[in-house]
Amino acid sequence: MDWLNGTTIAMLLFAIGATALIVRKDLVVKLLALGLVNSSGILFLISIRFRPEMEAPILPTRAGMPIADPLPQALVLSAIVINFAILALSLVFVMLLVERYHSTDCGRIEHAVEVDRAAPESRSAREDESASRQDEEAR
Amino acid sequence: MILPLLPLSHIFLGLAAIAWKRSARVTLLVALFLDVGLVAVAFSPAAHLLSPIAAGGWTDAIGIRLALDPLALDFLLLTVLLESAVVVYLWRQRLRSTFVILLQFLVGAVIALVLTQDLFNTYVILELLTLVSFLLVAHDRRTLQIWASLKYLILASVGMSIFLLGVGIVYANVGSLGLAAVARAVAESPNAGWIPLAAALLVAGVSVKAGILTFSLWLPDAHSAAPAAISALLSGLVIKMGVVVLIRLSGVFPLCTILQILGAVTGIGGAIYAMSSKDLKRMLAFHTLSQIGYLLIGIGAASDLAANGVLAYALAHGSFKALLFLAAGAAYDAVGSTDIAELIRSRHRIPLRTRAALLLGTLAIVGLPPFDGYIAKAPLLAAAHGWANQIVLLLVGIGTAASFAKLLPLFRGPYRRVGADPAWWSYVVLALPIVLFLPIERALFGAAFVRPVMNWLIAVESVAVVATGWLVHRIHRRLAVRAPEGLFRLEPGMFAILAGFVTIYVLLRLG
Repeated sequence: MDWLNGTTIAMLLFAIGATALIVRKDLVVKLLALGLVNSSGILFLISIRFRPEMEAPILPTRAGMPIADPLPQALVLSAIVINFAILALSLVFVMLLVERYHSTDCGRIEHAVEVDRAAPESRSAREDESASRQDEEAR
Repeated sequence: MILPLLPLSHIFLGLAAIAWKRSARVTLLVALFLDVGLVAVAFSPAAHLLSPIAAGGWTDAIGIRLALDPLALDFLLLTVLLESAVVVYLWRQRLRSTFVILLQFLVGAVIALVLTQDLFNTYVILELLTLVSFLLVAHDRRTLQIWASLKYLILASVGMSIFLLGVGIVYANVGSLGLAAVARAVAESPNAGWIPLAAALLVAGVSVKAGILTFSLWLPDAHSAAPAAISALLSGLVIKMGVVVLIRLSGVFPLCTILQILGAVTGIGGAIYAMSSKDLKRMLAFHTLSQIGYLLIGIGAASDLAANGVLAYALAHGSFKALLFLAAGAAYDAVGSTDIAELIRSRHRIPLRTRAALLLGTLAIVGLPPFDGYIAKAPLLAAAHGWANQIVLLLVGIGTAASFAKLLPLFRGPYRRVGADPAWWSYVVLALPIVLFLPIERALFGAAFVRPVMNWLIAVESVAVVATGWLVHRIHRRLAVRAPEGLFRLEPGMFAILAGFVTIYVLLRLG
């Protein structure tokens, strides 16, 4: 089982996530897959320059043991925060899309958007929209 | 000492705009003055104040090194130019404070990316740019924008994950993330097994952000759906940040051939799509792709002249693409559509100044002397070696001229005064470098750079390219060929990133 280390699991996670991003149609599932892809990067960063016999680089408990490289583990913190922000924001946008199209199906939304683009909304509709935005600001 | 404060000042000004919503507009002006001051200091005898520094006092091996090198200075000029144009554009408009905050973060991140010499720092800033442009594209909350920016976020995030894997492989083998240390390690053992894989991961990852086919299939939707000022910034500035990273990577890894191949695909692909595009903003977005192709071929040529040509072309492209996007926004405000046929039908409703700006942008982008498109393109034409590169550059030029020939009827009469153009003063700001490019470039890059510009052979070639483009436009209109649009959906985009990565890896492996 020597091959089953952080690096190979990271590759596996990336492959699963990337496949799901292409194959699965549901937007929420796609975002979960995006989470997998992003986590694979994090796992990969942690597992480079680390061997099972190494100590965590916080406070050495056993003298003489090799210590894992602390830099990738510090880097990973920023990556985690970024990935959290990306997932949170994209979920908000999926919510906005669901409100308008009542579907999380990627193909259906894409089709509806393309229809919208081919027949741009009439002038009055745009004015309604800007009026409602002004109301929002007034509030 | 000062360098780390520059990007931070924008972030702080953005936070100040959150605290005092009424002063949001003022923070934009303060930031602009800071940046102009910075460029002035960089050109003055006090330039030693901006000496390179490893942030936090760490050694160069693990610290983040910031440096204002010529590359950074050129893109800083571009940043200041576009920032001033956008600030002037937004000055008279009703602004929401969130918009101002995001704009500050965007400019701050751009400056940070230009200065940084560290791979992981590059990753973080590219992600920050993704997030901020994601929010800015969808700022009006129209459905088109929401979908375009969601697609952008998903694809860019996958790309950045690939980039992160590359960063991990580099760190595992070099033990440092500073570009200088990595370059040393690569130079010491150029045949090490990790180099092709790391280079392929890094290039594929950053290509998603840099507007390179087939990685950046999100670009036409995102750049055409965004509000005018944001389109101008994204196409003029943010997309170049990927190119900056590629330039830096090409100094570390042997990437010349692969960049030329990517440049050819991007340039010709973008030009073909631009020719069959019926929407003005979408056509401009496709053109961003084809012009990125120019830059890649220039980077791949790997000579001093070509390197300066790339910097000059990035600056020139920023000026005329921003001009065209702002004018397209003004035309949309007047007519209510960006469909080219509709714009031509209602051209009497478009203000004269908007049409003049569109005309100036068109003349500059097709590369007619004496405008900056030509002046920046001439060194690239002179520096491209090999018939393949020459032909690609010619084809991209012809494609550009052929697609902009569609706009020609827009400039016919009647010429009547209708309405005011809100963007007039930003046109003036952007027209300055378009018209006065030669002295600027001579000051930046020296007299050797100007020589190809004065070569009458290249001038004749450029004019011939434009004439051929016009002919191609006439033929193409008869044939009415449409390039398939289904390519720009989410799933093909995702697949193209993975396939592109595998292709780059195989090509680098084979040498």
